[in-house]
Amino acid sequence: MLFLRACLLALLLPMFAAPASAQTQDFDALVTSLPEGSYSARGAVVGAIALTGDPRAEAILTALLDGALGVIETTGQVVILAPAPADALAGTPLTDAEATSAERIRVNNGLRRDIRAALGILTLSDPDPAKRLAAADAAFRAPDAAQYELLDAAFQREENPAVKSRLAEARAVAILDGDFPDAEKREAIDVIADRGDADAQRILTPFAASEDPDIAEAAAAALASIEQSRMLWGQAQNIWYGLSLGSVLLLAAIGLAITFGVMGVINMAHGELVMLGAYTTYAVQETIRQNAPGLFDWSLLIAAPLAFLVAGAVGVAIERGIVRHLYGRALETLLATWGVSLILQQSVRSIFGPNNREVGNPSWMSGSFDVGQMTVTWNRLWILIFALAVFAVLLFVMKRTAVGLQMRAVTQNRPMAASMGIRTNWVDALTFGLGAGIAGLAGVALSQIDNVSPNLGQSYIVDSFMVVVFGGAGNIWGTLAGAFSLGIVNKFLEPYAGAVLAKIIVLVAIILFIQKRPRGLFAVKGRAVEG
Amino acid sequence: MTFKAKTLFKAGIASLLLSTAAIAQDDTIKVGVLHSLSGTMAISETTLKDVMLMLIDEQNKKGGINGKMLEAVVVDPASDWPLFAEKARELIEANGVDVVFGCWTSVSRKSVLPVFEELNSILFYPVQYEGEESQKNVFYTGAAPNQQAIPAVDYLMAEEGVERWVLAGTDYVYPRTTNKILEAYLIGKGVAPEDIMINYTPFGHSDWQTIVSDIKTFGSAGKKTAVVSTINGDANVPFYKELGNQGVSAEDIPVVAFSVGEEELAGLDTTPLVGHLAAWNYFMSVDTPENAEFIEKWQTFIGSEERVTNDPMEAHYIGFNMWVKAVEAAGTTDADAVIDALPGIEVPNLTGGTSIMLPNHHITKPVLVGEIQDDGQFDVVWETDGLVEGDAWSDFLPESAVLTSDWVELKCGNYNTETKTCGGASN
Amino acid sequence: MTSLIDRRMGIFLAGLFVLTVAVPIGNLAFDGKVVPSYIVSLLGKYLCYALLAVALDMVWGFCGILSLGHGAFFALGGYAMGMHLMREIGDRGVYANPDLPDFMVFLSWDELPWFWMGFDNFWFASLMVMLVPGALAFLFGWFAFRSRVTGVYLSIITQAMTYALQLAFFRNEMGFGGNNGLTDFKDVLGFPIQSDATRAGLFVCTAIALALGLLIARAITTSKLGMILVCIRDAESRTRFMGYRVEGYKLFIFVVSAMMAGVAGALYTPQVGIINPGEFSPANSIEIVIWVALGGRGTLVGAALGAILVALAKTLFTGWFPEFWLFALGGLFILVTLFLPKGVLGLIEETFARKKKPAPALQEAKA
Repeated sequence: MLFLRACLLALLLPMFAAPASAQTQDFDALVTSLPEGSYSARGAVVGAIALTGDPRAEAILTALLDGALGVIETTGQVVILAPAPADALAGTPLTDAEATSAERIRVNNGLRRDIRAALGILTLSDPDPAKRLAAADAAFRAPDAAQYELLDAAFQREENPAVKSRLAEARAVAILDGDFPDAEKREAIDVIADRGDADAQRILTPFAASEDPDIAEAAAAALASIEQSRMLWGQAQNIWYGLSLGSVLLLAAIGLAITFGVMGVINMAHGELVMLGAYTTYAVQETIRQNAPGLFDWSLLIAAPLAFLVAGAVGVAIERGIVRHLYGRALETLLATWGVSLILQQSVRSIFGPNNREVGNPSWMSGSFDVGQMTVTWNRLWILIFALAVFAVLLFVMKRTAVGLQMRAVTQNRPMAASMGIRTNWVDALTFGLGAGIAGLAGVALSQIDNVSPNLGQSYIVDSFMVVVFGGAGNIWGTLAGAFSLGIVNKFLEPYAGAVLAKIIVLVAIILFIQKRPRGLFAVKGRAVEG
Repeated sequence: MTFKAKTLFKAGIASLLLSTAAIAQDDTIKVGVLHSLSGTMAISETTLKDVMLMLIDEQNKKGGINGKMLEAVVVDPASDWPLFAEKARELIEANGVDVVFGCWTSVSRKSVLPVFEELNSILFYPVQYEGEESQKNVFYTGAAPNQQAIPAVDYLMAEEGVERWVLAGTDYVYPRTTNKILEAYLIGKGVAPEDIMINYTPFGHSDWQTIVSDIKTFGSAGKKTAVVSTINGDANVPFYKELGNQGVSAEDIPVVAFSVGEEELAGLDTTPLVGHLAAWNYFMSVDTPENAEFIEKWQTFIGSEERVTNDPMEAHYIGFNMWVKAVEAAGTTDADAVIDALPGIEVPNLTGGTSIMLPNHHITKPVLVGEIQDDGQFDVVWETDGLVEGDAWSDFLPESAVLTSDWVELKCGNYNTETKTCGGASN
Repeated sequence: MTSLIDRRMGIFLAGLFVLTVAVPIGNLAFDGKVVPSYIVSLLGKYLCYALLAVALDMVWGFCGILSLGHGAFFALGGYAMGMHLMREIGDRGVYANPDLPDFMVFLSWDELPWFWMGFDNFWFASLMVMLVPGALAFLFGWFAFRSRVTGVYLSIITQAMTYALQLAFFRNEMGFGGNNGLTDFKDVLGFPIQSDATRAGLFVCTAIALALGLLIARAITTSKLGMILVCIRDAESRTRFMGYRVEGYKLFIFVVSAMMAGVAGALYTPQVGIINPGEFSPANSIEIVIWVALGGRGTLVGAALGAILVALAKTLFTGWFPEFWLFALGGLFILVTLFLPKGVLGLIEETFARKKKPAPALQEAKA
């Protein structure tokens, strides 16, 4: 950092001396020199470009940051490639041939940080509050005492409260970075301490060892209170992680709660049905990417019903082709469906290849937001909501519709149901299809957080069985309770025991729990049990 | 009655024997390909099988070796480690192959080692590994720890000013050893032990919420923090997805990975990951004529413009060419002759240099550090000046610092330089 | 009641005997030209699987306990033997450390952990091969059977057991070599493990163990105790109401079966040359169930036959069509379930029965 600043100064000094017209020339020269040299040297050039205050600087630097700045090798001409290809300096549009011959100028981490800091300086007085907020953020992340004047000025004139508070923090880190009076530093520490988050901790930690006792004390007190609040939030975070893991388990297991729990079929191909759902999502996204990129954000909503149909259809096929011959021989369904799972895995491998497939997150499922000091990622939140929605719909179908009534009737007493005029064959196929379809839906959700590969199903099958059995087979409320309690217990253990041991402990706990309640958390009672 | 079972059984055995008898003395040189085509490792290994088929095909177009055509024998060890040993034996004994290219995981290599030793055949192992091994019949064309991990850490210290380290890995021997070496190295460089956090996760770990948030917390101690990831293949996609979603950007906490290449990134949207790093000896983006030709051939062979190339593929490319040269030089495919001919063989690699097979059965390679780009490729931000020699026994572990390997002069894979004896093993 | 060696058992044992004599002679006397060494260890491995299948058939076929965790007992036996073989390496490891196996040296262990003590003695290790799986089975069964955990609940917790053990053995801190497991063995009881003679010896041992295992299983299942086991399988509550202590019988057969699985594992390790946590994986245990179901549940001989057939199919298919073998194997499982409800043995016996009537063996198949 120091070295960088020295470079910057070396570049700047002659510039201040130069008259204004020469400055434009320098700007041109600086921009033209962007494609060359090491990353750190180019970082200095970026800083110099920003300080020229040239109106073209922002567009050029933004383009560089986005990887949309290019250079035409033969002429050394620097060009902006997106959205409309144009010469970076003159602004004249490029011909198609020129645009395609341009090489992108590559950037690395360090350079990106420099660009952001430079852009921060440029956009501190932007009319758009969002940009000013981003600028304050950039300044906060790259503390630099040299920016104090600029930040202070910006802080004084800022009227938007959100931006103003962020600027206050940026100004405070600049104060802490430089040689300022102790009183101001203490004030700055208070400002930072109010954030109370990991960033504040990061900034304040070095000051707890400050030579000035007042500063050290202020920093230590602030750190202690941050630590305490983070502890509390840590518990909340664990619960959230647990719920989120639970929702994944719920999704993976809920289809099985139907095929295994309700129908009693040990469906080892359940994981592969989940995988089919994930691959359906992939296929939908691929089609959208190629034909209608604008629809990408809708891809999951389109994929969900399709995945349900694909997995459901395969499920019905499995039921009609194989499982129906095996009713009353529950354990043999294990053997046959294991064979089905091998075949499905290999089919997918043959069709789509053994590699991972890319399934993107739509924009509404990317990123995160903060609740207090807890980070909640959008994809996990949506998956939780999705899992609960699927559960609610399933519950409704089972308990409130005619089809659901028939399903329960058939599983409880087949001959009686048949003699009441229920087409048991038809109901069996439908029930199995429903379970399979829900597995497909789970695949849509899991494609958002896990590998989409032929092995996807294998990694969930053991967990799914565990959840259903723990909750009590035959009771879908049990599956819900089982999934969330296993998720939360796992996540509370993980920070202490580590990921592996936590899982082992959970497994042992399941074994012990089953001793206490041999039919799971929510045992089905009555005569139906013995069967 | 059981008569039928016996016939069935006998038929099976007979066919096994038949395939053995079929070794015969036909006019082809048989090349075994021992990569998992199903199971968990199929993701990574299938590509290597395809590369081998391509290389063999190419060589045959050039007229084979010494006038003999090559014939690939592909089997599927199905990511099942004992099955690797069985299949290796089948390749050598029943199919009569002269050389085997294969294995990915360390455990699969460990499983087949005794077989190659006993039957005195040759194995080319193309993946970066933990070192601590040098066997007469094995040629290691992937990176040893000093050809990957240490230069990458040097880069982060020098260029990014990293002072605090998270060593995150899957709990198996490669990450364990690499992290031990790195820990010793970092402490030697003056990093305080409390500035190093080591974390292990099981294979295929998919819920990274807690660990990513731990990394964030660890990174908020006021020092520049980086993650050195030895997380294995499958677990990487959910790991990077979680990193991206929790907003850990490469500018704040860069992650440098040793097991993430172009193939792994092909399953990911890399936009949120731009700037995270990987250290390898080859990147698809390296701009050399050899590489351009290789990529072109590969994409034509596999019939897709979208398929990428990666480091272990280059390792097979180098290994195969070395073997071809050695066979040509020895004038025979006889294992002993080829093993003796291999050290000293030089072949061009794809990054514009020339790799040499060293007496310790490792090769020289350049070390490149690349940053992930939004197109799933790596941009090389740093590379070593010359080629680095693979070191079988790490200098940063006390037990192995005294060991050295030399199959030319000393004829020993674990020669103890202090006691001046060849290890304890009979080999 | 029924004789110990009925017709099917007799034929199988006779076949096994022929194999036991012919294979080593074919291998050793003709310098590997008639039977290559590779076939010897391959067959040895199949016979280990067969013994494991017989062990499972005892509990599943005769007592109705569907264990999805029998791979765990097998692996524990394998590890016990593996630990002995590791100790026998002595100072011939790459680091030439006389006390510690290589993986402990490079993970910087200072001394041998306590649970490795004694394993340098072959007899102690052999005892452990049976005791450790037996103790685990006893502990597990004692809790589970007393709590009357039955059916799929029992199956799933056995699966949880093997899964938990797999994760535990993956951990390098456990001191069992982590994911790599135990490997690079040099010799067994002083005989070099890679020599053809040792291999033939191990093969013969395995064949004898399988024959003994079959006889023991047959003896138990044809005894009065065996009758009660079948009663438990068919109507557990009724048996209990008749005054039998169901959990005691179940526990007994479960422990015996686990010990037999342990022996199979112990013989398996030196023949394949590696034992690692992959053996604990739930999928492996499911495969054992499949062997038994495919061969014919509750027939003992069928279970052994099923294991050998599936393993043979796997060997052949992975070599013949490496890209598509899973289709063949998966298809095989489905077809057998749908069309051969009594397994392969059932098919064989029925075919035979149709040819030659009356069929005395058929009566027993239904017993």
